[in-house]
Amino acid sequence: MLTKEDLEHLAELARIELKEKEEKKLQKDLSSILDYFQELQKVNTENIKPMTGGTDLVSVVREDFLGKTDDTGKGPEAFPEQERGFLRVPPIF
Amino acid sequence: MHLHDLTIKKFHQGLLNKEFSALEITQDFFNWIEKKDQEIGAYLSLNKDLAVRQAEEADLKIAKNEPVSLLAGVPLAVKDNLLIDGLPATAASKILKDYTASYDATVIKKLKSSGAVFLGKTNMDEFAMGSSTENSAFQQTKNPHDLTRVPGGSSGGSAAAVAAHLAVAALGSDTGGSVRQPAAFCGVAGLKPTYGAVSRFGLIAMASSLDQIGVFAKNIEDAALVFSEIGGRDEFDSTSVDIGLKEEILDFNSEKTKKLTIGLPKEYFEFFDSSCGGSIDKSVISAIEKVVSSFKSFGFEFKEISLPHTKYALSCYYIIMTAEVSANLARFDGIRYSRIKNSESEMRNLKDIYFEQRGNGFGDEVKRRLILGNFVLSSGYYDAYYHKAQKVRRLIKNDFDNVFNPSSGGVDIILTPVSPTPAFKIGEKINDPLSMYLSDIFTIPANLAGLPAISIPIKTAGGMPIGFQLIGKPFREIDIFAVGQYYEKNISHV
Repeated sequence: MLTKEDLEHLAELARIELKEKEEKKLQKDLSSILDYFQELQKVNTENIKPMTGGTDLVSVVREDFLGKTDDTGKGPEAFPEQERGFLRVPPIF
Repeated sequence: MHLHDLTIKKFHQGLLNKEFSALEITQDFFNWIEKKDQEIGAYLSLNKDLAVRQAEEADLKIAKNEPVSLLAGVPLAVKDNLLIDGLPATAASKILKDYTASYDATVIKKLKSSGAVFLGKTNMDEFAMGSSTENSAFQQTKNPHDLTRVPGGSSGGSAAAVAAHLAVAALGSDTGGSVRQPAAFCGVAGLKPTYGAVSRFGLIAMASSLDQIGVFAKNIEDAALVFSEIGGRDEFDSTSVDIGLKEEILDFNSEKTKKLTIGLPKEYFEFFDSSCGGSIDKSVISAIEKVVSSFKSFGFEFKEISLPHTKYALSCYYIIMTAEVSANLARFDGIRYSRIKNSESEMRNLKDIYFEQRGNGFGDEVKRRLILGNFVLSSGYYDAYYHKAQKVRRLIKNDFDNVFNPSSGGVDIILTPVSPTPAFKIGEKINDPLSMYLSDIFTIPANLAGLPAISIPIKTAGGMPIGFQLIGKPFREIDIFAVGQYYEKNISHV
């Protein structure tokens, strides 16, 4: 059973504000989902190499190169607020 | 030409024979969407200006007798988690409500150069999390075969658009079944390619080791056609690889096809077992049995196979997927992309803004998965959950490698149901996440193992559509297309 404190800690890690009502429902849902996950403990995985991605391709890298550009593309336009070519964010301190 | 008769092939022929123009058909589609989509709710936004320009370009080429691709002028629908430069891309989330894409996804770039027309962006479960499209922050899409039922999900808008003739074909994304399950629910073909066959660049990421962009179409041939246009190596997705020659992918030979051996995994049919909490509908079993016996009567060889770790696939998937979700969705901080207006947030510190924007911007299912993802990755639980799931994922992949291994008499292709039930009622499962998750139990293993799989509508007499799934060896889309087309063309068991 996931406690209220556990849930609040996880919400903190996930950077999500939860309302009281949401907490109750989540606590119940997550507890039953985590119970269901328990079945994995029955599987013998001794000496099994974890599968860490969707492919077994290895070392997909390209040559690094140095260049200079002032082309920011359409990135700034896609930002919610801009001012004179700068990105505007809410005060953070 | 009626819109409901239109396949890509027929459209192309009609265009070349000057029976109609691409512009006329595009306008017909918009007229039909205006009328029909009020009850279906497949589209989140329409793209009339660009679509008209794209159609005119295709017509101009035809008028000048220039060579055109098979997709020139073909009206398509696109799931709203794929970026089209200058158009909204909301992923059906409040947190991206005002976001406009600033570049084209690789699949969009490729389709643009083939001359395809994009009618609009389709509804989905928020950030592709769900199996019914009920998790959209904006609207409920309905199943065109019964408006009281869900279209499936998460690509429910794209599936419903093709089924209701609101587009000739559509793009979706499939992380655990999000193309195949809605395709089965809506009675259209739905392809999830091999992991790496299609570039994911420009797809709003959900779980990066599982996501693939897929295709909805009226038949297998159309699905293969779109796949052959969008697939291949892309420098912007390091997991993408070459898919081979287009001509080869589109070449079907029914005699060669008959030599393929089809495997029936017994675990998929033992799902009545209450230990995994679900059951398979009798109508699904009897429809699948009909498909199998029809194939047999045409001389196909079947083998019973065993994929012993199947029953662990759902847990394994939900652990790995939520872990990846929690990392991928960290970028939606309410500062970049789009910001929910709130005067209070201007006065508070950064952390408060994150909490408030994410708390208000994400829906219930997204929050549930973010919290689960943080749980399975947190210290103390990492080994028992995430690391364990990665090992089980290897075992699931090994199961497939074993049954596909030719040196031990392996099969070429696997046939299974797509979902345990036909489309369920709107609201039926929304309050019970586990039962919702179970509707993907037959589609998830192909994502974990990275295999190509396709959902094909079974020819049944009336009732809600039911699909069967063909799973192929890695990068052998050609096999599932071939067997699927054989079924479409030769088999009738109504």
